[in-house]
Amino acid sequence: MSPPLAAKSRYSLQTRLVLAFGILLILFLGLAGFVLDRAFKESVAAAVEERLQLQINALIGVAEPDEDGFFLPGLQEARFSQINSGLYGFILDTAGNEVWRSPSALDLTLEQAGFMYQHVEAGQTMFGTMESQEQGRLSFASYGTFWPSFEEDLDAEFSFVVMETVEPTTAEIREFQSNLYVWFGGLALFLSIAQLLLLRWGMKPLQQLATEVSKIEAGEKDQLEQHYPPELQAVSNNMNLLIKSERERQSRYRTTLGDLAHSLKTPLAVISGILQQSKQKTSSGKNGNPESLTELDEQLERMNQIVSYQLKRATRSDKSGYLGVPVKVQPVIEKVIAALEKVYRDKQVTLEKDFDSDAVFRGEESDLMEITGNLLDNAFKYCHSRIRIIIKRNMDHLEIEIEDDGQGIAESDREWVLQRGARGDTLKSGQGIGLAVAVDIVSSYNGEIIVYTSDMGGARICVSM
Amino acid sequence: MRLLIVEDEDLLRAQLVKALEDADYVVDSSGDGETGLYQAREYDYDAAIIDLGLPKLNGIELIRTIRSDGMTFPILILTARDNWTDKVEGLDSGADDYVVKPFQIEEIKARLNALLRRAAGFARPTLDFTGLSLDTTAKRLIVNQNEVELTAYEYKVLEYLMLHPGKVVSKTELTEHLYDQDYDRDSNVLEVFIRRLRQKLDPDETLKPIDTIRGQGYRFNVPPSSS
Repeated sequence: MSPPLAAKSRYSLQTRLVLAFGILLILFLGLAGFVLDRAFKESVAAAVEERLQLQINALIGVAEPDEDGFFLPGLQEARFSQINSGLYGFILDTAGNEVWRSPSALDLTLEQAGFMYQHVEAGQTMFGTMESQEQGRLSFASYGTFWPSFEEDLDAEFSFVVMETVEPTTAEIREFQSNLYVWFGGLALFLSIAQLLLLRWGMKPLQQLATEVSKIEAGEKDQLEQHYPPELQAVSNNMNLLIKSERERQSRYRTTLGDLAHSLKTPLAVISGILQQSKQKTSSGKNGNPESLTELDEQLERMNQIVSYQLKRATRSDKSGYLGVPVKVQPVIEKVIAALEKVYRDKQVTLEKDFDSDAVFRGEESDLMEITGNLLDNAFKYCHSRIRIIIKRNMDHLEIEIEDDGQGIAESDREWVLQRGARGDTLKSGQGIGLAVAVDIVSSYNGEIIVYTSDMGGARICVSM
Repeated sequence: MRLLIVEDEDLLRAQLVKALEDADYVVDSSGDGETGLYQAREYDYDAAIIDLGLPKLNGIELIRTIRSDGMTFPILILTARDNWTDKVEGLDSGADDYVVKPFQIEEIKARLNALLRRAAGFARPTLDFTGLSLDTTAKRLIVNQNEVELTAYEYKVLEYLMLHPGKVVSKTELTEHLYDQDYDRDSNVLEVFIRRLRQKLDPDETLKPIDTIRGQGYRFNVPPSSS
């Protein structure tokens, strides 16, 4: 079973960085756009005010009082003289009565312009905008001034008012804004692409590491080989060390258990030999109790089976996360067959083979040999004269089918025989531990063994892992 | 039949030697691979029993060397490591059969018997010739459907000759394969056995099963049974 995953992170590193950078980009560009827009508008408004002030100054510069009010000869600005030019000048007295208007405002009254008179202190300028009936939106400036050398009957305080249609400045702002959008859009696009490229470049070692690790998991590689940036190199080195030490540990474990088996079994063999000698002596009429010797012999056999079985079990562990090179199945099974054909030479067994030569086993070769050895040994032992062996791939799975024309396994025994970890000491003498061992190994790879009846008459053992 | 046993565990080796000598085999033994190899090169064996876990030269290496030297006698391996990797490796290196420790001596005897018989080209435990058949399991001789009693030595001589039918077997070869090294080769005991065998196999002197080839040895000369 695979270890329980810690609460799985929903976002990959790349997604996190893209999201964070994206939000930052939107905020930054949005804010910058807003600020630039405001600044531009303010500067345009200031420019309008300055221009209006200049126009007022120009009016004051040429204004001469006459008996009707004011006379402004030689106006420099042509738009004052052109009807409906968009630039209009007025001079008002303190009651708000019009004293003078520029020729451009011939058709325009103050009411039409939407202008509400407000008194402005001398020397002060008031700026504002208003909505006119015909000219659309207008900006205006109103400047209060005294006229010292004026005739008695005329009020000496006046307001010079200049108004200008907003249209040109609005167009200017719109153009600026559309420019701003184009540039900022381009910038956003460029930054996004740059960000993706940078991310890809920056994340590449991590991706390589992930690919290599998955190759190791798939058994296509046995260690990390790429060179990584210093931050990752340490991780990669440590992983290699871990993989190596894990493999060494497994192999050491196996050797130790093998040695243990060797050192336990040779004395068992000696005791068994002594027993048989004693049995021969007692049966040839000397002292002794042949029954107790037979009992001893049986116990010895049981001990031997338990030792074998438990030692085999001890070398198995969870192999589902196996790190190793996949093993081609066909050569291994051919070796086992060659060995068994030698052992069962007298039996003249006919083999039918259907092998997918590309089938691989993602595990240790010794485990594959143990599985196929035990199953094929049973097939050779119990068959009449025919065995059929099929190796095939089913998606990611390896399937091995071994069937024979022997007695088969009774349906009532199948479940018992396939129980994982059927304990060695429950096995009766002569039953063999082959199938139980195969079941154990296959289970440790998260696979399963199913027993059917072959159309040849005997057992059909299907291994899938 | 002369056997070589290579097993490093003294007690086990002694048991095997004793049990196989009791079964009328001539047995040489050694406790390590190097000595085993020396013996295999020095003497002509009919079969060998080799433990895989040997000091100096391990069992697999020993078997490989024996085979690469061109020796073809059958080899039975003993292994304590009851796993298929070892079994397959052992058989692949040139052994013919394996027995996992601990074992019953009877099993070793049965396997050896089968190996010796197979090495001589007989698929079944009974060696069948026209009018004669030797059951190597029960060690019984049947002549024309009648069981004929044989002494242990007579049986050994006949079995050896029948396992090499048509081949001239010298006296030296026979004594080497059937008797211990300290056996007096000059004695005419062998000739006595052959004479007695001829009487038992062919009382009315029609079959003439064993030829004497002057100056060379004996030859078992009965055609295989047609059935």
